[in-house]
Amino acid sequence: MSEEKKPEERKKRRTATEAASKIGPMVKASIGGTVQAREEGKPLAYSFICCCYDEIIRAMDVVPIWTENYAGVCGAKRDAQRFLERAESENFSRSLCTYALCGLGFDAWREELGEMPPEAPWGGQARPDMMLGSGQMLCDPRNKWYQAAQHYMPDVPIYDVGLPWPPYEDDYDYREVQDYYVKYIVRELKGLVKFLEKHTGKKMDWERLSGLVDLTDKTWNLIWEAYELRRAVPTPMGTGDAMNTMVPMVFMMGTQECYDYYKDLYDELKLKIANKEGVIPDEKYRLIWGGGLPSWFALSDFNYFNSKGAVFPVETTYRMIEATYNFDMDLSKISDPLEHIAWRWVKFWTYWHDKARKRPGSHPDVERLIKYIEDYKIDGIVMHEAFSCRSWHVGLIWQLNLLKKVYRDIPSLILESDIVDISSYNEVDTRAKIDAFIDTLEAVKR
Amino acid sequence: MPEKVALKGLAAADRYYQDYGFRARELKKQGQKVIGYLCAFVPAELITAAGLVPFRIKGDVNEPITKADTEMETIVCPLVRSCFDMALKGNYEFLDGLVVPHACDSICRTYDVWKYTLDLPYAHFINMPHGTGDASLDFYGDILNTFRASLAKFTGKEISDQALAGAIKLHNQNRAKVKELYELRKASPPLISGEELTKVLIAAMSLPVEESIEMLGSVIAEVKGRGEVSARKPARIMVIGAQVDDIAFIKLIEDSGAWVVADDLCPGAREFLSSVDVTTDPVAGLAERYLRKIKCGRTYREMEGNYEEYLEDRFGHIGRMIDDFGVDGVVLYIYKYCDPFGFEVPQIKSYVEAKGTPVLYLEDEYSMSTIGRLRTRIQAFLEMLVK
Repeated sequence: MSEEKKPEERKKRRTATEAASKIGPMVKASIGGTVQAREEGKPLAYSFICCCYDEIIRAMDVVPIWTENYAGVCGAKRDAQRFLERAESENFSRSLCTYALCGLGFDAWREELGEMPPEAPWGGQARPDMMLGSGQMLCDPRNKWYQAAQHYMPDVPIYDVGLPWPPYEDDYDYREVQDYYVKYIVRELKGLVKFLEKHTGKKMDWERLSGLVDLTDKTWNLIWEAYELRRAVPTPMGTGDAMNTMVPMVFMMGTQECYDYYKDLYDELKLKIANKEGVIPDEKYRLIWGGGLPSWFALSDFNYFNSKGAVFPVETTYRMIEATYNFDMDLSKISDPLEHIAWRWVKFWTYWHDKARKRPGSHPDVERLIKYIEDYKIDGIVMHEAFSCRSWHVGLIWQLNLLKKVYRDIPSLILESDIVDISSYNEVDTRAKIDAFIDTLEAVKR
Repeated sequence: MPEKVALKGLAAADRYYQDYGFRARELKKQGQKVIGYLCAFVPAELITAAGLVPFRIKGDVNEPITKADTEMETIVCPLVRSCFDMALKGNYEFLDGLVVPHACDSICRTYDVWKYTLDLPYAHFINMPHGTGDASLDFYGDILNTFRASLAKFTGKEISDQALAGAIKLHNQNRAKVKELYELRKASPPLISGEELTKVLIAAMSLPVEESIEMLGSVIAEVKGRGEVSARKPARIMVIGAQVDDIAFIKLIEDSGAWVVADDLCPGAREFLSSVDVTTDPVAGLAERYLRKIKCGRTYREMEGNYEEYLEDRFGHIGRMIDDFGVDGVVLYIYKYCDPFGFEVPQIKSYVEAKGTPVLYLEDEYSMSTIGRLRTRIQAFLEMLVK
């Protein structure tokens, strides 16, 4: 690697919780673990977060390589540019998802060398035995990325799981269609099990899978309860930390380690609340991170907010769980583990529909914002528009407009940058925007 | 029908193209309901069968996007932004409803923006799956039946199997006409230019299917009747991309000294050269056609066989068209922020080049402002081709 391309050294970001500070080493160990697993001949699968196949791959002893996570790590270490440039040289547009571009650039390089690219962050991303994509309303790269990666790894098979959920519509309720959605998802998950059995030479242990499904329900509920503790004033944990504590939620679901992590987090937050220990001692403004993935290379912006007296007790991003006991059906009565997973998926994505139905002109995404605004005593909304990702970053303006229409006007700020591509980021401009937003919050308070 | 353009053939197509939406506006005045839709993945047959007028929403490369930016992020594909901008500026004020398919992120993720901002009497999202396996096909059939029921609720009248079969027949006839038109491109020089053909197909998107069939028929008769009118040009080009709903880019290539004789575009070969099979359950035929027969980057085709066979399954139709239409070079024309096509560029490029056909890859922004830059690249490509 040339001298000028070496990543800029960054100081470790200050976290409010012990739990958040544990994440860096955990991720490093996880990535290192995949490289080791490769050496040990364990089956490895490129995987996406939020695809509800966590318990299935765990039950099959398949080691997931979370490709979005690795791109995020490259971004956070400010060492993604060389992989993005490599992807660009392969004729991938720089306007595409930069997680995918970083991964594809890395893959192209690794496959060309037959070994990890030089000084690959945290030992590099191991070559997979299979790739598990998914078709959702969420994100095209979930099926296009791995398909494109086959250009460099034509021998690596893909299974693409169809995982739809019912959209929110005016002329029918999701309950009218949910059965056929679940039926389809179950068929798709069965196909995944068959695929894994074929490529691992191992049979699914259905009893083990059922155990992991139950453990996941328990973990979802525990996370929800832990995160709800953040309603406290002062809040014991902000979104900056939540961007760390999401790691077990999305990368370790279906493991005891994940459950134990959130038990520790829960206990830590309880203790902080008892001691009246907040993220900052004197909260002036309570904000919601209302949409968009963070710039992984600029998480210290959350600390900058803190320095201005602002905290984030809640966020919509990476809160990929609900308390399952709040669903309108009792999941514990579904004995088939694949059906259980499918119902949990559909109930999660339709969770806010009923609330929206009750407020004329509203929408589930906006209802979620309203609920959080009220529950967490929120003064303002911050969102982030990452230029390379249409999944989470389209509809932000509309949500704010609709919120104002059906609820009330609330100060808002949309930051603009990217998840991985640091060339889109300007710290001075970003902080000037934050300063101006703080002035607005102050004016509204007065 | 009064107010219908009295012109025929290419002149009629030109009229409908220049004043896009002209006919739908007239039909609306006559009391018909017009349903706007985005993308080739909306089964217009169902809209026709419901007694409604399907109308494809298009953008305008000549119109700077302004109003849309107040409601929709600029990271959305510029074609979708332009379409939305046109709608906000009142170009489609005659619409009674909107149908949006799960095509790509830029379309799917903006459905709510469209729906809540335009606030039309009818809106529906077709949650099309990505996969093409049997489970996906069955699920898609359910999705189409939900759409069918939703349209029936809107009109107050069930869509019978007979009505749907009739609509399928009409739309197949329309496609057959387009196929006939494509045959006229095979001659050297082609009997119809790429610019003319593009104009005709865009005009057809704005018409009720019966009128489109009539227009296409008159175009075919005119083109056949005029004989060889095209001047010889040294290169025959195929254009591959997403939705090209303006003649500007095709004209640019042809003005630079080549014929555009083939494409994998919408509107174009991708959406017109496959028909709906006549099936006992007409919805099953629709599902099969839209999910499996239209080969578009938005659909995930499962891999069968080895990787080379997989590429052949995904891009073989491109290879066949290159042979059948005597294509000398391919222009891969991709919009910025286009995920389904953007991720396919290295694979398509290497597939086509492996067949011995040169490829020019261009990324564009759906705006006339880039035309100068594109012209330079195209001229250089054509020079290379004819050397």
